[in-house]
Amino acid sequence: MNKVLLGRYLPGSSFIHRLDPRSKLILSFYFIIIIFLANNWLTYLFMFAVVAGCILLAKIKLSFFWKGVQPLIWLILFTVVLQILFSRGGTVYWQWGPFSLTQTGIISGIYVFFRFVLIIFMSTLLTLTTPPLEIAGALESLLKPLKKIHFPVYEVSLMLSIALRFVPTLLDEATKIMNAQRSRGVNFDTGSLRQRLHAVVPLLIPLFVSAFNRAEDLATAMEARGYHGGEGRTKYRVNQWRLRDTLSMFAFLLVTVIMFLLRTW
Amino acid sequence: MSINFKNVTYIYQPATPFAHRALSDVSFSIPEHSYTAVIGHTGSGKSTLIQHLNGLLRPTSGELTVNDQLITTTTTNKELVKLRRQVGVVFQFPEAQLFEETVLKDIAFAPKNFGATPAEAEKIARKTAELVQLPASVLEQSPFELSGGQMRRVAIAGILAMQPQILVLDEPTAGLDPRGHQEIMELFAQLKQQQDLTVILVTHQMDDVALYADQVIVLEEGKIMAQQTPRKLFSRPEWLHKHHLDLPHAAKLAFAIQQQSNFKFKELPLTEDQLADQLAKWLPKEGSSN
Repeated sequence: MNKVLLGRYLPGSSFIHRLDPRSKLILSFYFIIIIFLANNWLTYLFMFAVVAGCILLAKIKLSFFWKGVQPLIWLILFTVVLQILFSRGGTVYWQWGPFSLTQTGIISGIYVFFRFVLIIFMSTLLTLTTPPLEIAGALESLLKPLKKIHFPVYEVSLMLSIALRFVPTLLDEATKIMNAQRSRGVNFDTGSLRQRLHAVVPLLIPLFVSAFNRAEDLATAMEARGYHGGEGRTKYRVNQWRLRDTLSMFAFLLVTVIMFLLRTW
Repeated sequence: MSINFKNVTYIYQPATPFAHRALSDVSFSIPEHSYTAVIGHTGSGKSTLIQHLNGLLRPTSGELTVNDQLITTTTTNKELVKLRRQVGVVFQFPEAQLFEETVLKDIAFAPKNFGATPAEAEKIARKTAELVQLPASVLEQSPFELSGGQMRRVAIAGILAMQPQILVLDEPTAGLDPRGHQEIMELFAQLKQQQDLTVILVTHQMDDVALYADQVIVLEEGKIMAQQTPRKLFSRPEWLHKHHLDLPHAAKLAFAIQQQSNFKFKELPLTEDQLADQLAKWLPKEGSSN
């Protein structure tokens, strides 16, 4: 559980760290869109260069990112294998019933692999360089237009920031309870599937109970501090759009143009 | 049957940007049937240290023996299950571990896990509930309906029901009222006497250290700063101050008395009783000279 890098924050003061969280969020989404423009080796190579450049700018070691991908490697490989076995086209090397191994299949399998890795790298970069609360704040300000269609932007972002804030707390709590139950002779890692499912009960019940208690305490504490809904509040964390944010936008625009050029090479 | 740490180092999440060295090159031993207090600042590695005692954590390097069981980096979980039965750990705020439908079932949970039949486990549970002074009326209630203090007792009973030889207590009375605190601490001291337990207590309360412990281990930033008797430790107030630790109340008062009068304590009083004894011998003389 501790090996997952996605969703964790690594304090720093690099160029990427100091970007407005809104621009980071927009650019990460934008990156996921333009990665689908990639259709040949050159374009994938270029995208790798872009991601590597961003990681360099964030001053984080590339090897950490590879470690962050490792827990997800089975999911990626599973998708890749499906892609390889079920794609058709090009030279057929091997066929058995609905399964076939073709040139197109292998190539698109490799492409899917790269696409996954690149998207994970980029989203890991987003969360490593942006504190969770800033992501929630940025999401709120980006969703603001949805207020017009009566989407509860404020409530959703409040829930999101509380949820994000409590992820590490609940993880700690889960580890603590797990340790306590291990000490009482519960075995989480061995036994049949049935036994293991059974072993989860002494973990889940206390975890839910403590989440309920925590929610009640938090609600009381919020009310005691004068909270009564989203209307008419001011903001403590004000995002500021700076020159570097505009510059990064232009940089990504340039990336898009180059991608289109490389596609038709 | 003692506890022996040899150059134990523990690093959380090694080889990531979040790597954190919680214990570095820790060596010490705890004799059998002793009462050891582990003190130190928040984040000094106390909790990491005690999680090694029943194999919840394995050292990143170095090795330790607990009850003749060797724990190294490569020890498997299977070998450790046997150890967990001999080492009972009461974690901080242990009431978070309650989950069963009734108090009795929750206390019987650990014995059942370690192979007791349901009937045996229930018998042990009833006996243990009595030991921690839980009224018989709550045994069939849900643990979530109880007061905080009673929940704590149920949780502690859940550990004692394992009938461990080594009892590890991580701030067992944090958040309890003074009376609950005293009752629980007395209970542990009594148990130690009756069952010849080895007790390891993690605490911030120097009064408890003075009152119960035979030896103290001081941790700071994952290193052992001192291992000695409470009396030796508390006779060095400057050293304690330098390491942001406090004196027991009785010793504090004794030092203040020594500073402001010509009275010299024969030996440093650590508890209220010791302080009162020495002062009582002194006072009549003062009175007669007037």
